[in-house]
Amino acid sequence: MDFSAILGAWIAAFLTLGIFSYLYKDNPFYKIAEHVFVGVSAAYVAAISFWTQIYPNLFGRLFPKDGPLSFTGLEFDFNHEFNILYLFPLILGLMMLLSVFQQFNWMARWGIAYTVAIAAGLKAFGYLNSNVLNQVKASSVDLFSGSLPFFSLGGDSVFNNIVLVIGTISSLMYFYFSKEQTGNFGRFTRLGIYFLMVSFGASFGFAVMGRISLLIGRFNDLIDYSSPDYNYATFYVLLFIIIVLGFWSFKNREK
Amino acid sequence: MLLKRYIPVAIVAFFGALTLSAWFIDNETIETFANDDATQFFDIIAAFAVFLGALNLLKLQFIKVLKQQSEWQYSAIAIASFFFAFIIGFFIRGAFFVGEDVYFSQQAAEEAVVAMNSSDTVRPVDWGAHVQTDGSLFQWMFKYIFSPLSATMFALLAFFVASASFRAFRARNLEASLLLIAGIIIMLGRVPVGSLISSWLIMYIIAFSVGFGVNAYTRNRNMALGWVLGSFGLITGLGFTMGWPIDQPAIFYLPALQEWIYLVPNLAGSRAILIGIGLGIVATSLRYIFGLEKSYLGE
Amino acid sequence: MKFLEDIILKLGAVDRRFIFILIGLAVLIPLLTPISLPVRETPTTVKFYEGIESIPKNSKVLVSFDYGPSTRPEIHPMNVGVLRHLLRNGNTIYISCLWPDGIYMALDALEEITDEVNPDNKSTFNIKEYEDYILLGYRPGAEAVIKGLASDLRKVYTVDSKGRFIDDIEMMDDIKNLNDFAYIYSGSAGYPGTFEWVKYGGDPTGVPMSSGTTSVQVNEVIPYVQTGQLIGLLAGMPGAAEYEKLIAVPGIAIQGMAAQSFAHIVIVIFIVFGNLAFFIKQRRDRKY
Repeated sequence: MDFSAILGAWIAAFLTLGIFSYLYKDNPFYKIAEHVFVGVSAAYVAAISFWTQIYPNLFGRLFPKDGPLSFTGLEFDFNHEFNILYLFPLILGLMMLLSVFQQFNWMARWGIAYTVAIAAGLKAFGYLNSNVLNQVKASSVDLFSGSLPFFSLGGDSVFNNIVLVIGTISSLMYFYFSKEQTGNFGRFTRLGIYFLMVSFGASFGFAVMGRISLLIGRFNDLIDYSSPDYNYATFYVLLFIIIVLGFWSFKNREK
Repeated sequence: MLLKRYIPVAIVAFFGALTLSAWFIDNETIETFANDDATQFFDIIAAFAVFLGALNLLKLQFIKVLKQQSEWQYSAIAIASFFFAFIIGFFIRGAFFVGEDVYFSQQAAEEAVVAMNSSDTVRPVDWGAHVQTDGSLFQWMFKYIFSPLSATMFALLAFFVASASFRAFRARNLEASLLLIAGIIIMLGRVPVGSLISSWLIMYIIAFSVGFGVNAYTRNRNMALGWVLGSFGLITGLGFTMGWPIDQPAIFYLPALQEWIYLVPNLAGSRAILIGIGLGIVATSLRYIFGLEKSYLGE
Repeated sequence: MKFLEDIILKLGAVDRRFIFILIGLAVLIPLLTPISLPVRETPTTVKFYEGIESIPKNSKVLVSFDYGPSTRPEIHPMNVGVLRHLLRNGNTIYISCLWPDGIYMALDALEEITDEVNPDNKSTFNIKEYEDYILLGYRPGAEAVIKGLASDLRKVYTVDSKGRFIDDIEMMDDIKNLNDFAYIYSGSAGYPGTFEWVKYGGDPTGVPMSSGTTSVQVNEVIPYVQTGQLIGLLAGMPGAAEYEKLIAVPGIAIQGMAAQSFAHIVIVIFIVFGNLAFFIKQRRDRKY
């Protein structure tokens, strides 16, 4: 195992156990790890965004090889042709950066407005087609053809389809607040609430499943780093943190 | 007002309408612009927004350090970490190839060439590719610093979910009970241990729980006891008759039951939520395009 | 009875750090002493497997790595399994990433399977870049990227992750946009991911697609499975374990199932116990 991997394992074990130390109580190890995360992630995402988007797709189109702006000495060969339209995102992008100064705060609005516009234009059709039309189409289930059994636990059945239709409509009706939910309408929407509660319960079950899976992943890494290959990093770091935290708690209690 | 309000609203109206209409208008110029260039502009501006976020972060942390506000030392750590990662990302290639092997620095690569007596030359990775190259310094930082922090932050939630399950999730009414029961069935039915729980055990548990309900409703312990003993006897008789198969009756076998809950009542609720979200998004998007919604201006 | 109720009430008010310790042990112990539990495939996973099997041999498939290290334990085993499955059937793989971290997840997955031995123990995959797969890389922009891919891939990707021009790569000769792929798969942890691929990739182009998602997302995505917009679904780590069983290559997902099972049992016990304490306290408060 080379030195960079061993050093990396010790750093990873320290940061992981530092975050986990929050379970005891908020403490300096956790705060250090948290602030390292904040700093590193900001720079990491900025670097990735610049080198994968701005560098090839913006500079590559404004300063292509042998382009009209090559006199500036800037040339980026990404097989693009010069496209003057790309001055638009450059200007908007620079305005966004200038908005960090208080007096130019408003400049970010143009860039934000553009992103809102594209997102709205894309989402309006995308959600209408995939979420509304296709889902409503799928709700028109087979009830009367006679080709399905009346009840089946695992596959399609008439009973399951009836429950699906009633459940979908009653749950949708619950979100209709323009009419007071009383009387028969109120009873129907109450049924909808029950379906929604089952759905939320399932979501809760899946959420628990997901969180436990993430914990399994972290523990697997800590177990890896406790091996001789990494000079028992997990054990030594854990011991260090426990000793320091114990001393720190003792000192704090005295105060 | 013109620069701060009307022009942004005009930008949203124009480009929003253009993007939306590109789905429906069969014109090559509009389609090409909306599908290719307009989306590229979006991507580029989004990349600049990331830089804006980083700059704002630095501004806030610097103010904290300069004014020596509470816990400013941690802000200094955040700033140092930022510049550490920034330098690695923007000023250090961090990947030099000798054949298939990758070294962090040119010097290390040249030493390796000498040590291996290799005829290969040292090839530096291209700028841009250095953030996506296996074995680079940037990838080392991602693997041993960013990745553990990011993963552990989310893994912490497992502990808080467990704590919330114990201290907060209460079956106060029918709706909450339905939620908890559905959650429990999904949690147990989806994992391997669920297939080891016999459907007969579930039947006994249900009979016992109904006994509590009988007791609460009738306020008669003898009746409740009678119910419990009677149903236990019935289940036991049925079990002996059927030979105690672990997965029959299927409706009480957790994996089969969770599959039905997952694919029928749960699907109905999820579909309703999805349709509701879809309608809401369509309405909100149109409000933005028509200029009725101006929350993005901070107003 | 009163004595038992008192114990339950006392345990119901226990410091939450004991709960943390219990759940930590419930996950750690099965990882240290591996226990094998039978994995049962669910219909959505079987449908997913059959969907990949039904792709004509030697087809071009787009695989998107839309997750990061925070959700790696759930999605990574799925994606590695999908790559294995596709390569076994002779398909060529085009890897894109909508998340910046996805590129490293892809590099790790490729490293895992590059020299792997086939199940017949007779040969290795021995996959080669630019012959069996190409790593296109990450592009920011979420749904805008997918929309661009659906229209003209070369507007989004002019170079691959290594900086090589797309036009110079033979594998990319017949690829103009998403319609030139036989199948789309997204291993997704949130936004951008499955939803965006369905709305802007699968639905407009009609290219068959499927997805592996985190457990948290499963409930939101299941309506797409029932409509056929997704061909089956891999649901979280249990879904990944089921898929590993179907492709007959056990991995970390199957290994994690014992820990997952015990943790779930512990949480169910917590819920039942917590509610017992609540009902006892409620009854006592009503009396007084």
